Amino acid sequence: MNNALSQRAHQKSPVALVRHVVSRVLLYATIALVSIITIFPIYWMLVSTFQPSKYTLHYPPPLIPQEIIFNQFSDLFGNYPIARWLTNSLLIATMSMLLCLSLTVLGAYALSNLRWKGRSLFGMFLLVTQMLPEILIVIPLYIIYQRLNLTDRLSTLSLINVAFSLPICIWILKGVFDTVPGEVLDAAVVDGCTEWTALWRIVLPLAAPGLVAVAVVSFFSAWNEFLFAVIMLSSAELQPASVGLTTLKATGFTPVEQYMAAGLVFSILPVVFYLMMQRYIISGLTAGAVKG
Amino acid sequence: MCLEEIGFIKRRIDLARLFQPEDNQEARHTMSYALDTRSADDEAKKVKVRRRLHLLPYMLALPIVLYEVLFLVYPIVQGFIGSFQRIELASRQPPVWVGFSNYQRMLSDPEFWKVMRVTLTFTLLVIFVAVGAGLLTAVLFNRPFKFRGIARAAMMLPWSFPEVPVVMIFLWILSPQFGVVNIFARMLPGVNENPQWLLVPWLAMAWVVLIASWKAFPFYSLVILAALQSVPQELYEAAEVDGANRFQLFWHITIPSIRTTLELLVVLASIFSFKQFTIIYLLTGGGPSGATETIVMRIYNTAFRFYDYSYATALGVAGFIVSLIITAFFIGLQSRRAQEVA
Repeated sequence: MNNALSQRAHQKSPVALVRHVVSRVLLYATIALVSIITIFPIYWMLVSTFQPSKYTLHYPPPLIPQEIIFNQFSDLFGNYPIARWLTNSLLIATMSMLLCLSLTVLGAYALSNLRWKGRSLFGMFLLVTQMLPEILIVIPLYIIYQRLNLTDRLSTLSLINVAFSLPICIWILKGVFDTVPGEVLDAAVVDGCTEWTALWRIVLPLAAPGLVAVAVVSFFSAWNEFLFAVIMLSSAELQPASVGLTTLKATGFTPVEQYMAAGLVFSILPVVFYLMMQRYIISGLTAGAVKG
Repeated sequence: MCLEEIGFIKRRIDLARLFQPEDNQEARHTMSYALDTRSADDEAKKVKVRRRLHLLPYMLALPIVLYEVLFLVYPIVQGFIGSFQRIELASRQPPVWVGFSNYQRMLSDPEFWKVMRVTLTFTLLVIFVAVGAGLLTAVLFNRPFKFRGIARAAMMLPWSFPEVPVVMIFLWILSPQFGVVNIFARMLPGVNENPQWLLVPWLAMAWVVLIASWKAFPFYSLVILAALQSVPQELYEAAEVDGANRFQLFWHITIPSIRTTLELLVVLASIFSFKQFTIIYLLTGGGPSGATETIVMRIYNTAFRFYDYSYATALGVAGFIVSLIITAFFIGLQSRRAQEVA
């Protein structure tokens, strides 16, 4: 469409040329406006982190940073138990990731490479479980765990997180397993491999990037999770960062640059890894299921 | 939310394959077995492999099904049972059966219907704003321009942020004293002082919707962009030759070509926004005076602020029914789409 337009513009009709220029200017203006609106909250987070609060705690605040400081991070770690919060998050996320990864491999293999009755039922089951709002599970689960004295443990929280990330992770890895050509599997089975050993020797090594993707998704879904953490953990020593951060108040006692620095410290890993993942997802989308 | 989104992209392709009646891989399996019938020894080996083949998938799926039953299905069943009981957690007394009284209370409670109205308003607004913004940005970013790669990458940023820091950012931006948004609001005619953004009911609802949409729209945009790229270019060229203008191209070619994708996204957006908890909870807690109290918030408040667990489980059953209806729509659309692909 655009090629046609620009070709016509080159055919020296002044009216077409003007229209072309106007439409280009409009396009760039719209894109700039949309991008600025999208990015502004994140820009403001960075400005508020790196600028001393004497500028931001002033109305109207300057839109361009006047001065850059870096001591807010050491102040933050000195004034708040953020190191402990992050350690708790790390523990919960690591446990969730390990459990989720091992179960996902089994489920994805069954859903992708093996043929069996009940396979589409299994897929449907996974689909429905992930549609359910977490709040519906959390009340009965809280009551059950209260009676069993299982609340207030990091491991309990990891178990619940896995229940919610497992279906999605299986679907992601299934997509990657699908790209392993069926002929390769058949040949392995004919050569005396069982389907079980074929999983370890053939499918898994071919699906390494998919495993990374699943690790990232299961790790950071537990890292970001808030609802279960706020309900299932009551003692302050066990608080993960997602809950701990909400005790900071920008317009109360926490200096703004430390408040925003805390948000930045917490977000940096998920943002980087999700953006890396996203490229991987897009290429998976556009390449489709390329068979060897 | 990110999680479901990633899963969704894969699922769109996967479900299409799953629903296909023809089982190519099985056909291939049988073929390779048929080709390889030489000795009785081999035959015996094959039977053995085949028997294992039949058991293995069930053994693989079993732990997962058990896990989900233990952590999701069992609690839901317990919740359903609990909605017919009175539960006192603090006194540790056994629950008492109370029949339908929780449901009677729910249906005769004007507050419940208000909560349902708020839920519907919030869900519809998020669908409209988030999918609308996704469509707008996808159409914009589908056109060639300089720095398109950077612009597309930057647009994905809100999606990649966790919900808790997103709310932290916006609580700061919306601060009535120092919030930066006031600078822009004061440019509007008639706004002479900083508004109490989260204390005015309609403004609070508007911000909750805007923030939820800001976080969600890049995903919709990405999926729509992928759909746009598969629209045959010849359609546009043919219509241009016939003298169609931009708007006609968009309305008569783009929209019909991506209709199934849009329908799916609308249903997905309704699921995601119906589930939304963290943003509303941290931003307004359901306030001011219930203006942003969706059913999910109401369930939380009933259970963990008023400690009325049995009434909360009854509300949970109502929420469960709504989410089942939306899920049924989703599955219906998925299988229709799968048939179109096949």
